[in-house]
Amino acid sequence: MRTLLTCLAAFLLLTTPALAAETIKLGGFFDLSGRASFIGTPSKLVAEMLVEKINAQGGINGKKIELIIADTEGDPAKATTIATKFIHKDKVVAIIGPTLTDTGMSVKKIVDSGKTPIAMTVGGDPVIMGGKFGSYEWVFKSPQRSQTAVERLFTYLQEKGLTKIALLSADDGFGKDGLRWMEELAPNFGIELLIKESFGSRDTDMTPQLTKAKNAQPQAIVVWTTGPAGAITAKNAAQLGISLPLFQCHGLPDPKYIELAGAASEGNRMPATKLLIADELPDADPQKAIILDFIKLYTEKGYDKQFPINTHSGYAWDAIMLVVEGIRQAGTEPAALRQAMENIKNYVGISGIYNLSPEDHNGLGIDSMVMVQVKDGRFTLAD
Amino acid sequence: MSRQLWLASQDTKLQDGFFVHTDFLQFILSGLTTGSIYALIALGFCVVSNTMGIVNFIQVDFVTLGGMFMFTSLFTLGLPALPALVLAVAAVALVAMVLERIGLRPARSANHLVLIFLTVGLSIILRGLIKLVWGTNRMALPPLSSDVPVQILGASVLPQALWIFGLTMLAIAVLTWFFHRTSLGLCMRAVAVNPTAAAVVGIASGRIRLTSYAIAGALGGLAGVLVTPITTLNYDVGVLLGLKGFAAAILGGFGSFPGAILGGLGLGLVESVSAGYLSSAYKDVVAFVLLLLVLCVRPKGLLGR
Repeated sequence: MRTLLTCLAAFLLLTTPALAAETIKLGGFFDLSGRASFIGTPSKLVAEMLVEKINAQGGINGKKIELIIADTEGDPAKATTIATKFIHKDKVVAIIGPTLTDTGMSVKKIVDSGKTPIAMTVGGDPVIMGGKFGSYEWVFKSPQRSQTAVERLFTYLQEKGLTKIALLSADDGFGKDGLRWMEELAPNFGIELLIKESFGSRDTDMTPQLTKAKNAQPQAIVVWTTGPAGAITAKNAAQLGISLPLFQCHGLPDPKYIELAGAASEGNRMPATKLLIADELPDADPQKAIILDFIKLYTEKGYDKQFPINTHSGYAWDAIMLVVEGIRQAGTEPAALRQAMENIKNYVGISGIYNLSPEDHNGLGIDSMVMVQVKDGRFTLAD
Repeated sequence: MSRQLWLASQDTKLQDGFFVHTDFLQFILSGLTTGSIYALIALGFCVVSNTMGIVNFIQVDFVTLGGMFMFTSLFTLGLPALPALVLAVAAVALVAMVLERIGLRPARSANHLVLIFLTVGLSIILRGLIKLVWGTNRMALPPLSSDVPVQILGASVLPQALWIFGLTMLAIAVLTWFFHRTSLGLCMRAVAVNPTAAAVVGIASGRIRLTSYAIAGALGGLAGVLVTPITTLNYDVGVLLGLKGFAAAILGGFGSFPGAILGGLGLGLVESVSAGYLSSAYKDVVAFVLLLLVLCVRPKGLLGR
């Protein structure tokens, strides 16, 4: 018995480092349950799909990727535990995720002290903002900044001459981030925020806020939230007979939104990634090929049956690709990888063309977004 | 001031008055709609509390389950709205009875703490099962009838809200009849008033517990069926609603049926009116501070015994 155990121990000692050397470990944690599970679950599927694809093509620099998946449950405390485990127990090269701004903020410090690059798929900007938000040295994010989305929306509003706006935003991290940027950027675009109301992202009735917004007599209503609250707001607006143009944020372009809001979604406009209107893109668009490729792969897997392609679908792909690009250039040594990632230029991704810099850990500009409109129950380019 | 100007100013005043009036009505109706749902959930909490003396945390998942069964009856079985509603509510009641029979009764414990923790555990298991069966994505449930809003004195209300009022009232009427006119209902009240005396005169506690779970399940399921067309449906939609329903039950006095109704409607109204007139950012704060104040003045709740 003893010999057997010794042999086993020796065997383990011998094989573990050998195995570890052959794969590149990535930790992926998303909201597989909890309030953002409808974003986190498809993110996980896309991440697995991409890793499978890369490994089938021979991996990175000859090494296969090993993706370790975990569930943050949308809980910041859970997210910190998982991040710590990824860094110190699994010893991952880089981390992908989480899904929500709040959980993203909670792991910022952990990756900073653990010196592990993280490519987040969260919407809010504070994760890659310094100063009072803490160091963002090791943090990257693949979705557009809220700032970029606000600029895209405001440019459009300015073009259309809609300058008096009523604003309804969620009271979570994502909603507050949008509110902060809109307050800051509105004067630059000559836009006046007549009234600012907020609601809980799980609230079920926004008619009081909408009634107040309507009474302020704006030219348009802007809603800043992800998830069902946006659809409920659209339905409530229709219920109150509000015929003002309704704008949603870049978190909502999703066929699910049209399904949940029904007829009330008709005519709603919002900033989105090009993924949503891939068939309307001109052939000259450099992103068209990779987007169509992604859609084909996603549909072949059958994921679109439960999770139709939406604006979030490509973010996990782009997050992994940023890490992969970094590893291709600099290998897996953390500091070198981090530096390579922040110097990625002209990476053509699904959500845009990434040009990162030490100051900009996102790298997407306003040209990565288009304004889309719900027309006859589907998204089209807004005119 | 010329007479014409004076008339014009009176006119705007009247119009302003009209706006203020319709806004108020809008807030009230919106508050009553959410309040009715809180009341239904609170009633479910009270039924179990009265017969078993415990807080039944599975109540929140009964709400979710109601919506899920409604979704399946409508789209998988292809039933029309009303039969689907009846089937969904009955199915939740059945699940509730099964849970009581195989989840709680085998514990053979009269210790309240043990039973309460059992309900917490069962709630987590049930939510996991719901997630496995129906997935994590949001689903849209159609309203019971059209979704063209109805105008009431200038305020617009969804027909679904009228269904919510109507069926909540019906549920309360049926409950009242059941507890005052049927022998099973009278037995349940007897157990609520004095469990020992009820046992002495030979009222079987097993049947009472089973019935109370069936009623709690039906009430939760009904709340789920009615509210999910408004809130949209997913596997944990009941949790937050359930929390509010629980708060409503405490506000009204835990265990008191009229209290649950009053607490539910009150909480809904406070939320909506404070969002409308004070600050939408602090509406939950206002509602819960009010709850604390009520409990400070009347620790047993508004109508608690």
